[in-house]
Amino acid sequence: MSELVMQLRRHTNPAVLTASGCIVALLIAGSFYSANFLSPNYLLQQLQVASFLGIIATGAMIVILLGHIDLSVPWVVTLGGMMATAAAGWWGDLGAALAIPFGVACGALVGLINGIGTAYLRVPSMIFTLGMNAVVQGLVVVHTGGFAPQDRATEAMHDLATERTFFGLPNALLLWAVLSAAMIFLLTRTTLGRKIYAIGNREKAAYLSGINTRAVTLICFVISGAMSALAGVLLAGYATKAYQAMGDAYLLPAIAAVVLGGTNILGGKGTYAGTIVGTILITLLSSILSVMQIEEMGRQIIYGAVIIVMLLTYGRGAKTQG
Amino acid sequence: MMRAGALAPVSFGSCSAILGARFMQAVSGPVLETIGVSKRFGGVQALSNVDFACRSGRIHALLGENGAGKSTLIKIIAGVVQRDAGRMLLGGEEVVFATPREASAAGIGCIFQELSLMPHLSVADNICITDPPRRWGFIDGRAQRHIAADALARAGAEDINPSAPVSSLPLSRRQMVEIAKSLARDPKLLILDEATSALTAADVTRVFKVLKRLREEGLAIIYISHRMSEIAELADDCSVFRNGQHVATFPAGTKSNTEVVEMMIGREYSHAFPPKPKRDLRGVQPALETRGLSWESALRDVSIAVRPGEILGLGGLDGQGQMEMLLALFGALSGVGGETLVEGRPVTLASPQSAKACGIGIALIPEDRKTDGLMLPMSVRDNLTFAALDSISTAGIVSSRAENAAVADMVKLLGIRMGAADDAVGTLSGGNQQKVVIAKWLLNKPGIILLNDPTRGIDVATKQELYQLLRRLADEGAAIILYSTDYYELIGCCDRVAVFYDGQIVRLLEGDQITERALIASALNISTADQGDVLLGEASL
Repeated sequence: MSELVMQLRRHTNPAVLTASGCIVALLIAGSFYSANFLSPNYLLQQLQVASFLGIIATGAMIVILLGHIDLSVPWVVTLGGMMATAAAGWWGDLGAALAIPFGVACGALVGLINGIGTAYLRVPSMIFTLGMNAVVQGLVVVHTGGFAPQDRATEAMHDLATERTFFGLPNALLLWAVLSAAMIFLLTRTTLGRKIYAIGNREKAAYLSGINTRAVTLICFVISGAMSALAGVLLAGYATKAYQAMGDAYLLPAIAAVVLGGTNILGGKGTYAGTIVGTILITLLSSILSVMQIEEMGRQIIYGAVIIVMLLTYGRGAKTQG
Repeated sequence: MMRAGALAPVSFGSCSAILGARFMQAVSGPVLETIGVSKRFGGVQALSNVDFACRSGRIHALLGENGAGKSTLIKIIAGVVQRDAGRMLLGGEEVVFATPREASAAGIGCIFQELSLMPHLSVADNICITDPPRRWGFIDGRAQRHIAADALARAGAEDINPSAPVSSLPLSRRQMVEIAKSLARDPKLLILDEATSALTAADVTRVFKVLKRLREEGLAIIYISHRMSEIAELADDCSVFRNGQHVATFPAGTKSNTEVVEMMIGREYSHAFPPKPKRDLRGVQPALETRGLSWESALRDVSIAVRPGEILGLGGLDGQGQMEMLLALFGALSGVGGETLVEGRPVTLASPQSAKACGIGIALIPEDRKTDGLMLPMSVRDNLTFAALDSISTAGIVSSRAENAAVADMVKLLGIRMGAADDAVGTLSGGNQQKVVIAKWLLNKPGIILLNDPTRGIDVATKQELYQLLRRLADEGAAIILYSTDYYELIGCCDRVAVFYDGQIVRLLEGDQITERALIASALNISTADQGDVLLGEASL
């Protein structure tokens, strides 16, 4: 009997199926409200918006798979946007050319510090990244307070976030697709991916297998920081300017997307396909709720409730079987 | 520190002395008696049909080698595990303890080696933790301190301040608090399971004085220790356990050490071992050598050498430093002192990663495959190739073809029985899981293989396969260090056995010297050569 269950578990991922089912159900329910919900234009627009969240969720997922969490997302997103726009202001044309990599690098640097704190100083990631979030917030405020840096997005940022250069598909969506492909490859085909899952399942066993668990943890936090900052760059491009607290709305949805996609919140289990589906579901949910004119606070309640329900359903269990 | 609490209504110290004395007069029968108690864990009969009794005013020592059933009996008495069959009488009345709390309420106090104190609470909080005195629903701090002070006085530790946090006390003082905590509950029966192993000699002396006084007060005491000298000093009665059975009970001092060791020997045995080749390895350079290895208090000046083609056993009772020895050699401990040489060259083993890559390669088959060896929810394939990922990948990308080939090879080599390589490794039987742990290291072709009790909890057929495998690996030139809690395995498998006692190697047995008697005697750090020396129970004569 239990063998049968294991077989079923292996071949179907209930969380991905459920989340996909929810997406279809949302679209159908939405189409009764307004036929626009099924129009290609609306769907592409939703995917474009989803790609910002999707990129953040990519970073969040890799850290969650390790059994850690990155709570510095909000202000790393803001930092990414702010630094990219500021670079263009500081260094003129050169700065404009380097704006995107510079913003991403700043996020990666915060990720590096998170990684050092978690892997080497052994501070619980929940505390350390929360602390870093506050530190980054303070630094950003100092940065904008003393003098007025440029906050207008560069041409490249704007194009990346809003244009449709190829086949009428949004550039942001294509970027998310490329990153997703890279992430799937990383998680399924590389030694690093194998190590991430192993550490999430049983760090001690991974360590005793001669794996440099600290280095792997460090790399994952760097990726997470870079992803958040990249999303910040895109968001600044999308809104044409970077502004304070622009990342505040993204922490909870990012974690919700990862958990909705069936990734175990304690680490070690989850597929990237799930995170994609989870991201789309969260974005649609948010869009439909706002079309239905449910206010921000209502959305927050629904997000929170959805995360808790999904945790109760899928997010636990597998790990406790050991 | 003895407060005026002697007259207060909560004065447990004086109460229990009276109670104890009354108890002795009223009941001349045993305080606690078990009749036909049995317990089975999975396929292992841990206790079979045990009749045992202990009396008030006596210290009763339990003897037996690892897995003889002492601890299981204690756990049943203390309500930690439930018996499968048999009866238990406390003061002549049948009792069933579903939880340790019930046992404790009935007057059974237990002190284990692992402390049960909360380090950040005060001594008094800890002593009264299960049932603090209350006043209007709140904990009565003053009454609590009185109770604690009385209990500490009774435990011979008047100098401990009841208001001090436990974390401010050194380890041996904490053990005194632990004893006081048990006494505050006014037990009829006090059980000490290896409770002195963490204490300094001076504290052991104090504990002994207390135990002797408690005996005068009429307490029944069950005492488990692997230190024969302690048993000799304290015990009134001794019971020997072997293979889950109660072999004999006798007044202390009536049997010689040799006789006791004989009684402890004789576990049923049906393992078949491959023949040991006769080889003289004396001139061969050791694959792995340590000089004066030390780590905290667990390893003290350990020097061993193991040569290619040889299986070196680590013997002795549980927890004498063997595990730390293997972890130190694998780079998993920090702050190890002394020198380690691989193929004659000094090496620094800072992490398992460096041990794996060092010279001819070191592998460790850890003690607990479920927590240390495997990622249970991950597939057999992922687990099997995990330690050797570099060998099946290029530029960090795993080659499926190389991986599948490696898995197929190992499955065939070790005869791993499984459904598909995609199955979670947790679905395999214990024996097959252990084969996966071993296979994962063999993929690295290590020259030095360390094994920490690899046959624990696996079936006999798989055990025999493992013995064959170890000998084959040795014949192919691996140097193997095998720690086993099963003496027969050491006798059957090993070319030499280093017996550990208290973090040191007390004896190195070779060839025909490796016998049950020699292993057990060295494990207890006694000599059986002097026939008839009566060591047990000198104190009670």
